[in-house]
Amino acid sequence: MTTAPILDIQDVHKDYNTYQALKGVSLKVRRGEFIALVGPSGCGKTTLLKQIAGFEDATSGTISIDGRDMAGVPAAQRPTSMVFQKLALFPHMTVAENIGFPLKLRKVPAAQIAQRVNEMIALMELKPIYLDRFPRALSGGEQQRVALARSMISSPKLLLLDEPLSALDVKLKKVLQSELKRLHRSVGVTFVHVTHDLEEAMMLADRICVMRAGRILQLGDPTDIYYRPADAFVAGFIGETNLLPIDVVSRNAAGITYRSEGIADPTGTIPAPLVADSVSPGQALMNVRPELIRRIGTHENADCAVNATVTEIFSKGGTVQYRARMPEGHDLAIEIQGTSALPMQVGENVRLGWAKKDIWVLAPGEA
Amino acid sequence: MEQTATRSWHDPGLLVKALPSVLLQTTCFIAPLLMTFILTFQRTRDFQLRWTWDLATWTDVFSKPHYWTILGHTLVMAAACVAICMVLAFPIAYGLATRFKRFENEIKILITFAFITDATLKTFGWVLFLDKKGAANFLLSGLGLPPESVAFLFTDWATLLGMVYNLLPFAIFTLYLSIDTIDRSLILAAYDAGASKWRAHWEVTLPLCKPGIWAGSVLIFLLGVGVFLEPKVLGGGVSPMSAELIRQTFETRVNWPLGAALTLVLMVVSVFVVLLFSRILNMKRAGFGT
Repeated sequence: MTTAPILDIQDVHKDYNTYQALKGVSLKVRRGEFIALVGPSGCGKTTLLKQIAGFEDATSGTISIDGRDMAGVPAAQRPTSMVFQKLALFPHMTVAENIGFPLKLRKVPAAQIAQRVNEMIALMELKPIYLDRFPRALSGGEQQRVALARSMISSPKLLLLDEPLSALDVKLKKVLQSELKRLHRSVGVTFVHVTHDLEEAMMLADRICVMRAGRILQLGDPTDIYYRPADAFVAGFIGETNLLPIDVVSRNAAGITYRSEGIADPTGTIPAPLVADSVSPGQALMNVRPELIRRIGTHENADCAVNATVTEIFSKGGTVQYRARMPEGHDLAIEIQGTSALPMQVGENVRLGWAKKDIWVLAPGEA
Repeated sequence: MEQTATRSWHDPGLLVKALPSVLLQTTCFIAPLLMTFILTFQRTRDFQLRWTWDLATWTDVFSKPHYWTILGHTLVMAAACVAICMVLAFPIAYGLATRFKRFENEIKILITFAFITDATLKTFGWVLFLDKKGAANFLLSGLGLPPESVAFLFTDWATLLGMVYNLLPFAIFTLYLSIDTIDRSLILAAYDAGASKWRAHWEVTLPLCKPGIWAGSVLIFLLGVGVFLEPKVLGGGVSPMSAELIRQTFETRVNWPLGAALTLVLMVVSVFVVLLFSRILNMKRAGFGT
C-alpha cells in the first residue's frame, strides 16, 4: 500500500459570479480513510464535493485523485461515485437496473452484471425479491441501500456521500450509520462524507474536516476536534461547551500566564500542550467541556475553581445538565451522570472545579 | 374492488353527489355523440332530413374508397405533423427547461402570444409569405437565388407547414413540463455512473419524458386529424382532409347523415390509432409501474 494520498486537493477556489463558495481549500485524504466534511449550510462542503465528483470545474487550484490531476476530466471518467442527498435513483428502472447501470455503461456482459448486482445486494443486505421492483415501491432505508449499492458496484476509488442520511428519521439514521461504518470497514474504499450533523461525523469518521465560509477551519480526528477545537466557532459547533474569557499576560515555550476574574487558579499558568497555536497575549478563551466540570467542596483543592449559583436543571435521561451563573454574569453548563439524588438544587451556591489537563485555550475569533 | 362497487350503488347520496358531473357529461358529451350516431341512420332529401332508420348512409360510406383515401391522407398528415412537432419541440423545450432557464418567462410569454394569435390570421400570413411574389421569394432572389425558388404553396407540404406551425406550442409545453420536472440530480447521477451526455440523454432524460412525449403526441395527433383551415388555405383545397370533407358534406351537400357518419368514422379510427400506439409503446412501463 502506497502512502501517497488518494485525494489531494490543493488551494481550490470556486466562485459563482461574485460569490466565493470556496476560498482556497487544501486537503489530503489518505487511502481507505473515512473523512467527514462538516459545517453549517453554505460553508462550501457540498461545493467541494461537486468539484471532487467533477460536476463543476474549480475556478483555480488542483484536485488529484490517486496521483492523477483531474482538471478537464469529466465526472463520467473520474474514479469517484456519489451518493446523492435525494438518492437520485432512476424511477424508470427497476432496482436491478439501477444497481447495474454503471456496469451497463461500461459495456460489461449482462451475465456478469447480474452476478455483480447479486453480490451488491448481498453486501447491502437487500432482499433479492426487490430486484424487479421499482425504487418507489421500497422504503426510505431500502432505497438508501440501493443507492449505496449502485455507487459501490463500479468499485470506485472514492465514495462521495452528500448528506444521504439527512432525510431519514432518527432511528433509521442510526441503523444506516452503523451500516455505513460496516460497509467502509468491509470494502476498504475511501469515503468522503458531507454532513451538517456533527454527531454523525464524530461517530463515523476517522478524521473530521470542519468548514466555514469556504475555508477549512480545522482538520483532525474526532477527539482533536472535540477537545482541542481550533477556535471558538469549532468549539461551539461541536456539541455544547464552556468558553470562559481570560487575559493572557505572556506566552513562552512553557505555556502561558493568565489572569481571570472569576477563576481561582493558584498557579495562573497553563502548559503549552493545552494552548492553541493561535493564542497570543491579550484576549483568549478557556474551553472546558460540560462533562469535565464537577462540584467540589468549599475547601477542596482544584486546579481551577469558580463560584456559581445554579439556575437551571435539565434531565437528559442518562445524564443531568445544570446551568450555573458565575458572579461575573457568565453562564456555565455542567453535565454529570444522572443519579436519583440530585447533588445540586436550583438557587444553591456551589463551588465548581476542573482539572488543568481538561483545559484547552483558544483564540477568541468570530463565534 | 367488487365490494366497494356494489356498496356505492346502495349509497343514496352518491347519485346526488355525482349529479353535476353526470349532467355535464350527458349534455356536453354523450348526448351530442348519441345524436350524431342517430343521424347516420336517416336520410336527407330535398335538403330536408327524413327519419327513415336505414343503413343507406353506412352502405355509402363503406362502398366508396374516396372517403377512405381522404381519411388515410388525413392520418398520414397528422402523424407526420406529430413527428415533426416532437423533433422540433424537444430541443426547444429542453433549452427552455435547462440552458435558458433565466429567460424562461419571457420565452414562454412569446410562445403563448404566438399561440393565442388567431390561427386564421397566421395561416393567411403564411400564404403571403410563401406566395410566388411573396416575402420568401423576394428575400431569396435578393440573395441571388433563382426567382420563385419557394414554390410549394398549395401543396401538402404547405399544409404540413401550417399544421406544424399552429400545433407546435402544444408539443413545446407538454415536453417542457415533463423535462422541467426531471430532478437534476438524476442527470448528475447518470454522469457519475459513467454516462456521456448523449448516453445520459438516451438512458435517463428521454425515458423520463416519455409520458410528456406521449401526451403531446396524442394531443397533436387528435388536433391534426381535425384541421380544416390549413389544407384549405395553404393546401389550396387540392387534397382535402377529413375535416374539410365533413364540413363540405354538412354545409355544401347538406347531407347530414353522411356528414355524421364520416365524423364517427374519423373519431373511431383516431381513437383506435391512439389506443394501438399506447399498446405498442407499453405506456404502463412509462408510468413507472404504477
